Amino acid sequence: MRSLRTHLVLYLLVAPVLIYFALFVFYPLAQGIWLSFQKAGMMGPQGFVGLVNYRKIFVTGAVWDAAWNTVAIAAGITVFGTVIPIIPAIALAEITPDPLRRALQTTIYTPYLLSWVIIIGVWMNTLSPIGIVNAVLLALHIITEPIIFFASTTWAQPLVVAQTVWKDMGFHALIYYAALMSIDPEMIEAATMDGAKGWHKIRDLILPHLAPVIGVVFMLTLQGSLHTFDSAYLMSNGRTAEKVTTLAVYAYQKGLLQFDLGMASAAGVVLLVLCLLVAVLSRWLLPKGARV
Amino acid sequence: MLRAKGIRRLSYVIMALLAASMIVPFWSVLVTAFSTRFDSFQPGIHLWPASWSVEGFRTLFSRVDFGLPFTNTLIVTMTGTALHVALATLGGYVLAQPGLPGRQLIGGIILLTLTIPSQVILVPQFVVFRQLHLLNTLTALVISDAVSAFSVLLMKTYFEQIPKDVLEAARMDGARHARLVWDFYLPMALPGVMTIAAFQVVSRYNMFTEPLLFITDASKITLQIALKSVVQGKDTVSTSDFIGPNAQMAGVVISILPLLIFYPLMQRYLVRGLTIGGVKG
Repeated sequence: MRSLRTHLVLYLLVAPVLIYFALFVFYPLAQGIWLSFQKAGMMGPQGFVGLVNYRKIFVTGAVWDAAWNTVAIAAGITVFGTVIPIIPAIALAEITPDPLRRALQTTIYTPYLLSWVIIIGVWMNTLSPIGIVNAVLLALHIITEPIIFFASTTWAQPLVVAQTVWKDMGFHALIYYAALMSIDPEMIEAATMDGAKGWHKIRDLILPHLAPVIGVVFMLTLQGSLHTFDSAYLMSNGRTAEKVTTLAVYAYQKGLLQFDLGMASAAGVVLLVLCLLVAVLSRWLLPKGARV
Repeated sequence: MLRAKGIRRLSYVIMALLAASMIVPFWSVLVTAFSTRFDSFQPGIHLWPASWSVEGFRTLFSRVDFGLPFTNTLIVTMTGTALHVALATLGGYVLAQPGLPGRQLIGGIILLTLTIPSQVILVPQFVVFRQLHLLNTLTALVISDAVSAFSVLLMKTYFEQIPKDVLEAARMDGARHARLVWDFYLPMALPGVMTIAAFQVVSRYNMFTEPLLFITDASKITLQIALKSVVQGKDTVSTSDFIGPNAQMAGVVISILPLLIFYPLMQRYLVRGLTIGGVKG
C-alpha cells in the first residue's frame, strides 16, 4: 500500500514534464502532420486535400532551392565545424602556463554564448564595406573595390557556414580538449623515446584517441545544422535570400508571412523526415563507439 | 604535452591567430560604438576612435526604447530558468527511482523528444500557441523550452550518483519525498542544477525564434528582437535619416554587457559542467 502511494506521488511529480512534452512537442508535431494534408490558411484548416501540399512542394522551385541551401549549409557547417576545432584543442594542450591557456580557452569560447543577432552585428561591422577587413584587403592590394560581403550571393552561404563554425569553435574545441586530457601520458612518453616526430604522434596517437569524440561532434553538428534558422534568417536580405533560405526559414515564411499553413507544415514534415533519415543513416555508418 | 618543439611553437601561433579572430571583431565593435556618427562612416583601419564619443549611445537611447525589451527579457529569463530547473529536477528525480514501474517508458518518451527539433515544428507551434491564446504574451516565452530531455537526463545522471544505502536509511527513518529531495538529492546535484540554470539564462537571454514567432505586440518585444531592428538598420521612429553604424554598434555593446558580467560568475558551470555532465550523460 505504501509503495503504491509512493509510486502515485512519483507519477504526479513527473506529470508536469510529460504534459509539457505532450502539449508543446508531440501535439504540435501531430498538428503539423495533420495540417500538411489540409488546405489551411490563417483562419485554420478548411478541409482535407490529400497530398496536394506535398505535390505542390515537389513542383515548387523555391522548395528545391531551400532544400539545396539546407544541404549545402549543413554540409559546410558539419565538415568544418567538426574538423577545424581539433586544431585549437591540440594547440591548447600545448600551451603553458595554465592561466594563459585558460584565458585563451575563455576567449575562443565566448562567441558560443552570444546570440545570433550579436554575432551577425559584430561581423556586419567587421566585414562592412568600410570595415577593417576590407580596409586591410585594400591596403594589401588584394582587392581594388570593397567586397560587400553581406549583400552578395557568392558570400552568403560561406558566411553562414563560417560564422557558425567560428561561433561554435570554442565549444567543440572544449569537448575535444576534455577528451585529450584522458590520453595516457606514458604512451606519448614511449613514442617520444622511440623517436616519433610530433606530427606522427598526432596522427598515430592523438587522432585515434579522439576518433569516438569526433564522431559525437559530427553527429551533434550535423543534426544541429540541418535545421539552421536564426543565422540564415538574419543573413537574409533582398540580395542573399535565394542562397540562405533554408527549409526552416522557408516554412516560417510560407506559414507566418504568407499564411499558407498547409504548405508550410508540409515543408516542416519534409525537413523532419530529412533529419530522421540523416540520424538513422549516420547512426548506421558511424562506428559503434561514436554513437550518441 | 606532445614533447615536440615545432608543434609547441605552432600552437602559440595558432591560438594567437584564433584569439585575434575573436578579439579584433569585438574591439572593432567597441571602436565604432564610441566614435562620432561622422567618424563611424569613415572607411579604414580604426583601432582607436578618432575622438571618443558617446553620441552613438545617445542616438540609440533617443530613438529606441531599450528599457522595456530589456525588462521583458529579464522577466522571461528569470521565470523561465526557474521553471526549467524545477521541471528538470522533478523529471530527473523520478527517472532516478530504480523500482518505479513504467520508468523505462517515461524515459523513452522523454528521449523521443530529442528527435524533434523545435525549428522543424515552428509553424505548428505557432498554431498551438494561438489555440491556447498565448500569442503576444510573455507566458508563451516562459513556456517555450520549459524543460528539455537533455536537462532531465543530466539531473538523472547526478541523482543516480547518490549512494543507495544513504537514501534507504533516510527512507527507513520515514523521510518523505520533499525531505529526501531537499536533504540529499539537491545538495548532491547542485552542480547539475547550476549548469542547467547557467545555460538557461544564456539561452533565454539570447532567445530569438520564439519571440519572432509569438510576439507582434510592441510592448512585449524582447531584447534580441529590439537589437535586430537596430542592427539591421530598420529604424522604427524616423525614415528620413537612418541610424548610424556607431548607434548600431552601441546597441551590440549594451546587449553583450549583461552576458559579459554573467559569464565570469558562472564560468565554472558554463565550461566544466558541460564537459563533465554533458558528454558523459
